[in-house]
Parts: sequence; C-alpha cells; structure tokens
Amino acid sequence: MNTVVCVKQVPDTETLIKVQGAGIATEGIKWVMNPYDEFAVEEALQQKEKMKAGAVSIVSLGPARAIEAIRTGLAMGADTAVHINDAAYYDKADPYATAAALAAAVKGLQYDAIFLGKQAIDDDAAQVPAMLAEMLGIPVVTMVIKFEVAADKSKATVTREIEGGQAVVEVPLPAVFSAQKGLNEPRYASLPGIMKAKKKPVDVKTAADLGVSEGPKTVVKEMTLPPARQAGKVIAGDDAAAKAKELARILHEEVKIV
Amino acid sequence: MHGSGAEISREIFWNIVGPGFPTEQVLLYVLVAAAFLLFFHGLARSGFFTRMKAITSAKGSDVERVNNAWDRFWYMAVDVFGHRKILREPYQGVFHLFIFWGFVALVITTAIVFFQADVIWPIWHVWFMEGNFYLGLSLFADVFGLVAIVGILMAMARRYFIKPKWLDEKGEDKLILWFILAILVTGFVVEALRIQATETDPSSPMNPYIWFSPVGRTVAFLFSGMSVEALRDTHVVLWWTHVLGALGFIVFIAYSKLLHIVMTPVNIFLRPDTPQPPIRVMPPEMFENAETFGIHNLEEYSWKDLFDTEACMRCGRCVEVCPAFNTDKPLMPRDVIQDIRTYMENKAKFALDANGTYHIIPDEEYTGPALIGDSIEKDTIWACTTCMACVEACPAYILQFPKLIDLRRYMVMMESDFPAEVMDVFKGMENNSNPWSIGAHTRADWAKGLDVPLLSEKGEAEYLFYVGCAGAFDDLNKKVAVSLVKIFKAAGLDFAILGTEEGCCGDSAKKIGNEYVYQALAMANIETFKAYNVSKIITMCPHGYTVLKHDYKELGGSFQVFHYTEILDKLIKQGKITLKQPIENLGAITYHDSCYLGRYNKIYDEPRDILKALNSGSLVEMKSKRAKSFCCGAGGGRMWMEEDLGTRINQKRTQEAEASGAKTICTACPFCYTMLSDGIKELELSEKLQAFDIAQLVAKAAGLDEKTNKAGGENEQEAAN
Repeated sequence: MNTVVCVKQVPDTETLIKVQGAGIATEGIKWVMNPYDEFAVEEALQQKEKMKAGAVSIVSLGPARAIEAIRTGLAMGADTAVHINDAAYYDKADPYATAAALAAAVKGLQYDAIFLGKQAIDDDAAQVPAMLAEMLGIPVVTMVIKFEVAADKSKATVTREIEGGQAVVEVPLPAVFSAQKGLNEPRYASLPGIMKAKKKPVDVKTAADLGVSEGPKTVVKEMTLPPARQAGKVIAGDDAAAKAKELARILHEEVKIV
Repeated sequence: MHGSGAEISREIFWNIVGPGFPTEQVLLYVLVAAAFLLFFHGLARSGFFTRMKAITSAKGSDVERVNNAWDRFWYMAVDVFGHRKILREPYQGVFHLFIFWGFVALVITTAIVFFQADVIWPIWHVWFMEGNFYLGLSLFADVFGLVAIVGILMAMARRYFIKPKWLDEKGEDKLILWFILAILVTGFVVEALRIQATETDPSSPMNPYIWFSPVGRTVAFLFSGMSVEALRDTHVVLWWTHVLGALGFIVFIAYSKLLHIVMTPVNIFLRPDTPQPPIRVMPPEMFENAETFGIHNLEEYSWKDLFDTEACMRCGRCVEVCPAFNTDKPLMPRDVIQDIRTYMENKAKFALDANGTYHIIPDEEYTGPALIGDSIEKDTIWACTTCMACVEACPAYILQFPKLIDLRRYMVMMESDFPAEVMDVFKGMENNSNPWSIGAHTRADWAKGLDVPLLSEKGEAEYLFYVGCAGAFDDLNKKVAVSLVKIFKAAGLDFAILGTEEGCCGDSAKKIGNEYVYQALAMANIETFKAYNVSKIITMCPHGYTVLKHDYKELGGSFQVFHYTEILDKLIKQGKITLKQPIENLGAITYHDSCYLGRYNKIYDEPRDILKALNSGSLVEMKSKRAKSFCCGAGGGRMWMEEDLGTRINQKRTQEAEASGAKTICTACPFCYTMLSDGIKELELSEKLQAFDIAQLVAKAAGLDEKTNKAGGENEQEAAN
C-alpha cells in the first residue's frame, strides 16, 4: 500500500514561546515533528510492513528548518519526501493555504491513503485534513484510533474516537485519515534509520513550482500568551476556624466563586 | 630402599618398590604421564579447544591487556597467593585460603619428594631429605594437609547446611569436595600406616621424632592393634588408591570448574587496569561509517570478554551482591557469564566446518539460537542497575555488567527495543537536554534570587559548578543545589554555573545503551566547557561526576572533576566552613554509599568525614557499606524505568537503613536521594526515618539555611506551588 504522510514542524511543547508581532519569536526554539503527525507516520509504516509492499512519502510545508522534521520521518522508515520549502508562503499560510500547497504536492504522488495528525499542536486549527480531502476530492475520516485495510486495498475499516465512545467507519480508498493519540505507539528511529535518512531522496519545491497561487483566506491579527500563573497564597490565621473563615472570605470577595 | 643410610628420614617408596628392578616406580611414571595426557584429552572432550576457537575469532575492541607485564604479574601473584579479593567474604575466603594453601603445600612437598627420589638421588646420589629439613617438611605437609581438610569441611558445611540461595548446584560441585577429601584422607591414612609399621617401635631412629607428623601419628593410633603384615597389605592398597585419586584429580581438572586453578590466575593477569570497569569505546567516527552498533553476535565481543567465561567457576559472589537478584529479578551476573559460555559451545556447532575451522556466520545465514532473547533474556538485560557490585565482588576480575551494556546498545540503537517509558527520556534528552523533558530554558530557574554567578556573565571562575539535570529540574534535588551554592558562597569559593548553557551529562543514555545520544550530549557539554576554558569542575551528581571525569576523555574532554563531597570535606577541614549549629532531631545518621561515588570512584571517607564534622547525631553503618554498598535501584537508567519485576530495590535499601537503627539516611547522589525518600514514603516509615542530602545538612549546620530551616524542609517554591 502506498501512503502519503503530511507532517508539520512545530515548537517542542516544553520550549519557551515568546510572542512577536502577530506570531512567535522563532529564535531559541527547539523544533520537533508535530506529535500527532508521529502517529500518522507510524501508522503508514505499520501498514506498509503489514502488506509487505508499497512506499511511504512524507510531505511537509515549511521553511528550510522543516527538513529536520522530514528527516525524522525518513529516519523512522519513510521512503521519500517532498519538502515545500517556501518560507514566504509558509509565513502567511493559514490552514487553507497549507492544504492547497499540500494538495498540489500530493497530486504528483501515488497513494492509497493519506495520513495526517489530527491537528498541529502549535496553531491547533485541525482544519488541514478535511480541507486537503476536499481539494483532492476524496473522503476524510478524522480522529482515527484504529486502522484496518482490506486485502485488495479497496476500502478501509477504521475506528474513530467520538465523544464518550468509539465509532467504526468504513470508507473507500483512497481517503484522508487524521490520527488521534491511541492509534499506535510511534517508534524511536534506529541509528541505521537515522544514517539512511540522510541519504534518502527529498524533492524540494516552492509553492510556485507546484503552481499554487491561492493566498490565505484568514489572517492572524494578534497573538497573546495566557496570563502567568499567580504564586500560591498561604492563608494565615490563629486556628483552623479562623483560616477557614479567611478562606471563605477570599473565595467570596476576591475570587468571587462562592 | 633409598639406601642413603640417613636415619632421620623415611624410605620414599616404602612397601611399594621392592629390591631389584623398580617396576612399581616405572608404573607410577607411566600413570603420571597418562594422567597428563588424559588431562589434555579431557580439555578437548569438554570443548575447551572449541571454545578457544570462538574466543580467538572474536573481533570486538578491547583495552590494553598485557601492558606493564611485570606489574600485572605481581598483582596476580599477590591476588592468588594472598587471596586479596577472595578474603573479601570471610567465610568463603577462609575456606578457600585453607584449601588453596593445603593444595600448594602438598604440591610443593610432592615436588620435593619427586626431585629427591627421581632426580637428585638417581643422578648424584645425594640425599637431602634428612635431619631437620626432613622433620620440617614432614611437619609442614602434615599441618597444611590438615588445614586443607578443615577447608573442605567448611566448604561442605556451606554446601550442605548453610545453603546460600545464590550458590550454584551442579553435580560436580559436591563431587569435587568429596573427591578432594578422599585424596587428603587416604594420604593421611597411608602415612599413618607407614608410621605405625616403621616408627612406633622405640628402637626406630625416627621414634623420638614421630610427632613431627602430628596428624599421621594421631591417625596411627587407630591401627595400633594391627600386625605389620596387615599394615603393609592395607598400605599397598591405599597407597595406590591415593595415587590414582591424585592422578584422577589432575584429569578431572580438565572436565570441571577446577580448571579455574589455571584460568583464573591468567584472567587476573589480564585484568583491565583502567580506573573504571571499561565499557567498550565507540569512537565518534563510528557513527558515520559503521553498519551495526552494540552486540548481538557472539563474535562481536572481544576475545577477552569471551575468555572471561573460562575464568568463571560459578562461585556466585556476583549473584550474592546483585541488587536485581536480591529483589527477585531475573538477573544473576554469574549466569550471564555462564550463558555466554554455553552459547559459545552451541554456536560452535554452526560455526565449525568439517576441518574444524571457525567461521563467523552472517546474520542472514545463521539459524541457531540468538544471543539476545534466547541465550540471555531481555528482562535480564534490562534488570541491571550497573551498580558494579558484581565486578567489585568477582575474585576472577570478570566484567559482568559491561557485557550487558553491549547488548543494550544493540537493542536500543539497532532495534529501538527498550522499555516503553524510556522513549520520553530519550526525547527529553534530545529536545530539552534533560531526561525529565522539562523546557531547557528553565534549567537555571532553581537559582533565581540566589545571586548565583553565571559563567557567561563572570567570564571565568576557578570552578565550574556543573549542577546536572536533577539539581536543575527535580524539586527534591533543587534544594540540594541551593544548599551547595549557599555553602560555596559562604566559603568564598570562586565558582560559577553555566545556567541554560549547561546540558545533560548523558550518563543515563550511555548506560541504557544509547551511545549516540550520550555522545551528542557529551560533545555539546565539552564544547561549552572548552569555550569557557573550564579546567576544574564540581559536580553535584556522582553520575555526572563519573562521565565528566572519565568518559568525556574518550571524546576529547579532559577536565579536573570533583564531586561536591570532596570539596566540602576540604573546605570544612580548612576551616572555610564553620559548622557552628548542631542540627536537632537527626538521631543516629547512616550514610548510603552511592555506587557511582563509592565503587566507581572510591570516595568513601569524605562523605563520612563531613557527617562526623557536623557534631549532630552519631554515625551508624548499614549492613552493606562502602565497596559492598547496596544500590538504591536508580543506576544504569533504571531511574527512568518501571520496576515491575520482583520487589523494589529502593525499599530493600530503606529497610536496611531502618535496621541499622538510624533515624536519618544521608545521601550524596540525587538519584539515591530520590529513591530513598520514595522508599521511606512507600514503606510508611516517615515517623521513624528521614532522608537528607549531605549538602543540606552542611548548609543547616553552617547556619546558611534560614529559608529552609523548618523541620519539613519546605521552601518557598513548594509553597508557591
């Protein structure tokens, strides 16, 4: 089975984020592959291993640094990659523009299924999988936690996470699938995998090369960090009763929750 | 029949060789020659030469093994004849010493008799075995023969009655003891029969000296009623029994663990003379051009790794001290060594061709059992805490745990096969340079408001204080880092920290088997140290201490590294820190030796000297201490793994601390501090036991701890959470 996995390079969840203009300052950030995309890569690899045939292609839109996320996917075991290396396009890209670029890149590839993370953990838009499917004119199944494909690759039976439960969905292939945590346990790239990844082919393209001209449909106007956590407060008082009274006063007058 | 005429002596082949042609003597020569031939035949039959083929086919790199040959020889001689390491365990040590010296003395005596009877007398007609020399030799052989019997009986008592659970039980184990006992007893009986027949008569010139064979004389009383003919008849039969037994013993060496008589001294000669148990070096360029990493094929070990298995005689001392074994995990270092030996024999069936040539079979053609998984279980490989107790205990200088690290390397770097929980540890180290995966930008947050000098601001300092991940990120151990900088400042030490420029030392990655990540972390640190011209480093954690001091050298980083206990001990002794306030409520204090501080680096006294200088509470010792200390369970990357097999190592150690009568456990290692603090909580011993790091107590006693002086040690940060 041939699969395409779309990945995004995002800041590590623990990294220090500073707002700069309507975006974030990129200096000093540790970049990683979007964690949900790791589930997507892992699933594509597992399907390939199970069917003992096919290839896995990584597609990513991002500036030059995004090659590291691509190499991570290749080190895990993907075969080839397309890097839409276009900082100018990427900087302005919203989910629509991203999906448009990915769709253009994917059109040139062979695939029975396309995997993506259910959302990127930086902008949390969670729109790209659906938009990509629409642009390619194929079905989409989101929040996938179990994936099984028919032997003739004509359809897939997948389990989705729904509120409070699960739903089993059947869908004809090719189709787009967005991966939710629980789908699998992403592998740790082996050292030979890392070495081989350095030599695997990466097709570098710009948006113009792909003939994508449509701009973003939305524009970020402002970005703010959540308020810093306040220091804890030790409630003083002569005895437990006095402390309880003071606590009740604070909850009522200052926090206004009782 | 010697015909020397010497009166204070004895006839060597008395009752055996008659007048005329010495047929019996010639027969003895033939039998001795046959015994030696059968010894080599036995080596062949027991697979010794096959194993040697595997050993010489091994390709792995190794450290120097024959440099300073003269020093090595002396070291070996002292170890073998003085039992330096064997006596580490008194009971086993003493009985082995008895058997060993009995054996040596009787071999010496037999050799002297041989030279007298078969070389000196026939050629030069000189008889030196007479007079005082003869009497001395007689006494010597008798006493050491008895010593050997006592040793054998002690060994039997252990095997039949004491029965330690780590003792191996193979068929040969009991047989060997009975065999040696039989040789010794028949020897004394033969002597006694001769004495009864030739020396008890007051007219015998030897009669006044009869007690120079005290054991033989005593046993002779048993035969006092026998006629001379009966004595002679019994003597002939028992003499040949004794001789055949002794010669059989020589043959039996080839088939049994007795071969250690030869192999163990050789292994002691070949011991590593590195300051640390050597873990195979992986040169950085290897990561660019090698195709496989770590070990999954037997022949990827070094010849010496495989030779180790020849020197192992299954004594089990490594098992006795192993924290994994003692908490019911599937690891016995001895069995790892024995399993490799057995595997070597099994693999030879595939590797030897019809001409007996050993071939290394490529993976894709090999169909036999695997080294990892079949020969050595994966759970065994992961159970090791790299505490070094096995290596320290081994009288044969075998390296047990480093062989497991080679296997971990293959599993981790080639197969990505490791406990699932380790994934986040690797990612944390890769992305945030700490195993907790906490944002790297917060590495210096613990020092906020303490006015700790940063190397980037100060430019240079005599000492770099390398805090390490635990001191920087772990709430419990941040308190220790805070105490240390307060002490350093009060003592006027010229120091600075790297702040967010510091990185993980990489020890856990290295010991889990991820040498690739370890080297990336190590090289980043080395580059930073060099950029600031750092020469002296103080570490808070013994794990960082070990890799910075020893392992970074392999990557081009040579620094003078100190553990903080070395520095504090010096500062206290120089009077630069005054411990003016005795600390209340410590009760009796016990010090838990960290494996990486103690066994790895021989720092045992400094922490104890500091604790004594506190003048607060008496110092008591736990059952396992110093070089025999029992691991907390966190080494070798076990800190980051679930401990779901057997019981918990930290709890066993905590119980030992409780049994010592101590009220306070002191540590000098953040991993130990965490593990023992957890042990106290898990066992609900908080009423009876408390844990502190030594640095915290020094800060308290020096009056530097106003913020954290409260009984529970709560600091502001915790209140803020």
